[in-house]
Amino acid sequence: MTRQNDEPDAHVVLAYRDVHKQFGDFVALAGVSMEVRKTEVVCLIGPSGSGKSTLLRCTNGLESIDGGEITLDGQVLPRHGRGMRAVRQRMGMVFQNFELFPHMTALANVASGPLTVLRLPRGEAEARASALLAKVGLADKAASYPSNLSGGQQQRVAIARALAMQPEVMLFDEPTSALDPETIGEVLNVMKALAEEGMTMLVVTHEMSFARRVADHVVVFERGTIIEQGPPAQIFDAPLVPRTRDFLSHLGWEG
Amino acid sequence: MNLHWSVVWDNAGALARGTELTVLLTVLTMAFAVPGGILLALMRLSRSRLLSGASASFTELFRNLPLLLVIYAAYYVLPLALGVAFSPFATALIALGCNVSAYNGETFRAGIASIRKGQSEAALALGMSPWQAMRVVVLPQAARRVLPVLASTWVSLFKDTSLVSVISVGELAYTAMLIRSRTFRVLEMLTAMAVIYWSLGYPQAKLVDWLNRRFGVSE
Repeated sequence: MTRQNDEPDAHVVLAYRDVHKQFGDFVALAGVSMEVRKTEVVCLIGPSGSGKSTLLRCTNGLESIDGGEITLDGQVLPRHGRGMRAVRQRMGMVFQNFELFPHMTALANVASGPLTVLRLPRGEAEARASALLAKVGLADKAASYPSNLSGGQQQRVAIARALAMQPEVMLFDEPTSALDPETIGEVLNVMKALAEEGMTMLVVTHEMSFARRVADHVVVFERGTIIEQGPPAQIFDAPLVPRTRDFLSHLGWEG
Repeated sequence: MNLHWSVVWDNAGALARGTELTVLLTVLTMAFAVPGGILLALMRLSRSRLLSGASASFTELFRNLPLLLVIYAAYYVLPLALGVAFSPFATALIALGCNVSAYNGETFRAGIASIRKGQSEAALALGMSPWQAMRVVVLPQAARRVLPVLASTWVSLFKDTSLVSVISVGELAYTAMLIRSRTFRVLEMLTAMAVIYWSLGYPQAKLVDWLNRRFGVSE
């Protein structure tokens, strides 16, 4: 289903138009069109291998797209080179496996973007990093190395690291899938607080209750296409497409 | 059989200077071959066919020729090819440096490849350039991982420097062999050499073991 959008909407941050992506013979994205508006939380759900993470990775150019276009604030994204770097600085990304830099303290991890990319003076970068660690509730862990932090703490540091670049939009790629159940909550709480501050967020998740409570818009993926999208009330309580219901009932979602 | 250990004490000064030169050769070769190895690894991993091919050729050439041959070749061929006469010491440094760079290149290549892709992706996602991602995120981690291997290369190198005695660099082996041919005290000089190499090499080998325990297995 393609949503035609001829008039540029000032509030659309990210727009995907007929995005295609293939890995060899495998079609990862078969014509995806959707939008993310300012301050909106959009959750991408669907079975594994359905293209959700690929869409996220295409958004900041970790994967190239084979067809269609992605726009940020109405401008078509460049696909390589310096232009791509400038675009990546405007998007924060949080990975499933945290990908903290193990040879740096929590503080140095968070300061790494401002220091290396923005070339802020060390004091300024570290002040920004400290404030962000406090924001995710880890002010006391500034000097800890990632290997001494729990999964939930590592992921909160990773969120702070992405925020340190002061992005316009945050991309979350299954941020709680690698976590022990007891630490999932602390990460989701940080994300919820971020959403409440008005951060624009695109979240690939298997946490249906998070999507239900926090998302403004839920997009259901299957085999590289969007089978249904709408407000959470529609998706979770009265899905229009039977396959959405099938997917949710597979997860044990009781509506 | 009469052993005259006095020949060792009488030549202690010369042996000490030889030992000094052996250590100096090892240090200078490594100082040249660590950056050389990093350069070869980066070239090998680069997308440019030319750079990658050049690095592979260099590595396979010097890894698969006997070091002794490389030393002789550097001594006889370099002056002819370049029209410049290097001192035996400089020639030795070039030969050892090429050989050890080739090994270090492979070591660093494996080290860089062992850092998972997500690490450089996280760096790129922050807006770093590929080179910044390499310098700030990948290389420091790779360096830690290859430290034990570099240390064992160091210990091999320390002993292999004895080969440059064939082009009369006055390091420990050359000095000892010179004293032997002057005094005919073969067993005494071989023993002295063994004791000096061993007593300097053993602590280094122990250090390697410690580095292996400290950095070898951990993530």
